[in-house]
Amino acid sequence: MAETDAAISVRGLCKDFDGFEVLRDIDLDLAPGTTTCILGPSGSGKSTFLRCLNWLEQPSAGSIRIDGKPIGRSGDGRAAKPMARRELAATRTSIAMVFQHFALWPHLTVLGNVTEAPVQVLGRPKREAEEEGRAILARVGLTEKADVYPHTLSGGQKQRVAISRALAMRPKVILFDEPTSALDPEMVGEVLCVIRELAREGLTMVVVTHEMSFAREVADTIVFMDGGRIREVAAPTDFFTNPQSDRARRFIFRN
Amino acid sequence: MNGLLVVWESRDVFLWGAANTLSLVLGCLLLSIPVGILGAVVLTEAPAPLRRLFGEVVDLLRCVPFLLLAYVVYYGLPELGLRLDPWWAGLMSLTVYTTAYLAEIFRAAFLAVAPDNIEAAHAFGLSRSLIYRRIILPQVAITAAPVIGNQVITTIRDSALLMIITVQELTFAANFVSANHFTPFAPFAAAVGLYLLMSFVVEAGVRRMERVRKVRYG
Amino acid sequence: MTWPAIRTILDGAVVTAALAAVSIVFSLPLGLLLALLRAGRIPVVTGLLAAFVSLVRATPFVTLVLFVFFILPAAGLELEPVPAAIVALTLNTAAFSSEIWRSALLTFPRDQLEAATAFGMSKRATFIRIVFPQIWRANLGPLVSEVTILLKCTPAVAVIGVVEITRAAGRVGAETYEPLPPFLVATLIYTALIATLVRGQRVVERRIARRFGLVRP
Repeated sequence: MAETDAAISVRGLCKDFDGFEVLRDIDLDLAPGTTTCILGPSGSGKSTFLRCLNWLEQPSAGSIRIDGKPIGRSGDGRAAKPMARRELAATRTSIAMVFQHFALWPHLTVLGNVTEAPVQVLGRPKREAEEEGRAILARVGLTEKADVYPHTLSGGQKQRVAISRALAMRPKVILFDEPTSALDPEMVGEVLCVIRELAREGLTMVVVTHEMSFAREVADTIVFMDGGRIREVAAPTDFFTNPQSDRARRFIFRN
Repeated sequence: MNGLLVVWESRDVFLWGAANTLSLVLGCLLLSIPVGILGAVVLTEAPAPLRRLFGEVVDLLRCVPFLLLAYVVYYGLPELGLRLDPWWAGLMSLTVYTTAYLAEIFRAAFLAVAPDNIEAAHAFGLSRSLIYRRIILPQVAITAAPVIGNQVITTIRDSALLMIITVQELTFAANFVSANHFTPFAPFAAAVGLYLLMSFVVEAGVRRMERVRKVRYG
Repeated sequence: MTWPAIRTILDGAVVTAALAAVSIVFSLPLGLLLALLRAGRIPVVTGLLAAFVSLVRATPFVTLVLFVFFILPAAGLELEPVPAAIVALTLNTAAFSSEIWRSALLTFPRDQLEAATAFGMSKRATFIRIVFPQIWRANLGPLVSEVTILLKCTPAVAVIGVVEITRAAGRVGAETYEPLPPFLVATLIYTALIATLVRGQRVVERRIARRFGLVRP
């Protein structure tokens, strides 16, 4: 795949925290309309990698393009300069994110959470955003919850609101950072169900997860990370039945 | 320069003022800490009607501005046939006021002691008074140190109001020197410096307790 | 006590209430500004502001009142007692409330800020839309208790001649040679005012907790 056709294109990405290398030389291209699951043991750098994609973490080196446009630094190679804050913010609107601990804004109603960024950042008319917000909430099965405050919801419901909030941005890409790790086991299903539905509709998604069977079923591509590097990129059937590396084999059998 | 000279020449006035502030605050703490602890025991242990009455009194006292309490004590005691000079009237009002706050602080600190280690003390057959002395208070001294430190600083600040009933404490001294020499800045700056010094000492004490807490409780 | 005497004290109560109201309106935003500037980590400014806050926190309020009243004229700024009282009350409450705002900013959940960043909100928009609406509600309790502390401070401005409740009571006492009754009446008025605020604070805090599930960390 050519770099410019990819929804997400990563070149030479490195990240270190105070001299400790967390990510090393990551290259990756993800095709539009596909779902990618990032797997790996904890501490493998997968969440950091995801957070680099929308520049919540600043990589120490390397470049990232979302839908062909650079994020974080404009220009290439040595000429690269940090993006102006405003430009960075504008670029981020095409990448939505779903957080492990939901990160809903507790002072806004469910609908308020969903419409906040579309109205305030994208400048959509409030009425229109609210109509669309209600339609999205209906899709994830939360029609009646539109006007309540987040603290009254269960974990699974909160995460579905967080997904609705992401969808309302009409993003090019949605990043999921371990979306079910903070949930009680009986609520994992409802959230995975929503993500599965979105995958079927052809959104471009990157999901960091520990849910192996879900990854196997939903992903178009599995990215396996360990020790801050990408060790394997494969279709799920290949990855789960015939992993190429020892590390991957051990990881699959342990889980 | 002139102002500094004035302060230096009036150093005995400032020292007398600071000595009065310190003796008032220390005397007040010596009385109000034990009474405050007893008050907190009443607030947690007494039968419901007494507890509620006591709680109301403490809550009401905490709504009174200190200066007004000082005035009422200063002018009220003679009506009861008790003539006190300003220092003693000041000590009395400062003590009553601080005790109300400390009782509430200790009550909250008692509640914050983990119930299971009080249960354990019961299980080992410790008496009530032993539980307070050996289990609860040593923990409270450490955990409540920051709040108690704040209260001590508040008491130092409150004591300055006693200048209005003519107690010759530090602010009285600064005001006296400034009025007699027509140089306001240096005398008040000197007083503020001394207050700052006192609050540093209190804060250093609190930090020391914090270190103990870190070592023992992690 | 005679009715005119009580009227004098009640007039003083109006002055006290007005002083408190004006000072609150100035000092809470000023406290927020101080906290934001301190959070900005501008080298010299942050240090100066921290020093200012600890200075005010250590200085008795009467001392601050006298300081402001006597010093500012020496610096060429002639202030009447009432404005001087407002300046002193504002400085005092701004310093104390800045600590409330500061700890609210420091403990604000990071993930919510990240969510705002991830959705393309600017720093300004994040503060106005996400942070501020939450911190003022979550800290309404402590902020209202700053108001009660401010009210409890106001008698000290009597020393520079502002005729509020306490000074009015003092005048009545001086005229009748019976200082105790007017001071008892004054105490009663303060206690009623402050107790009402405290009750009100509890009700509002409970309501906010119920609606948003907000709890201070």
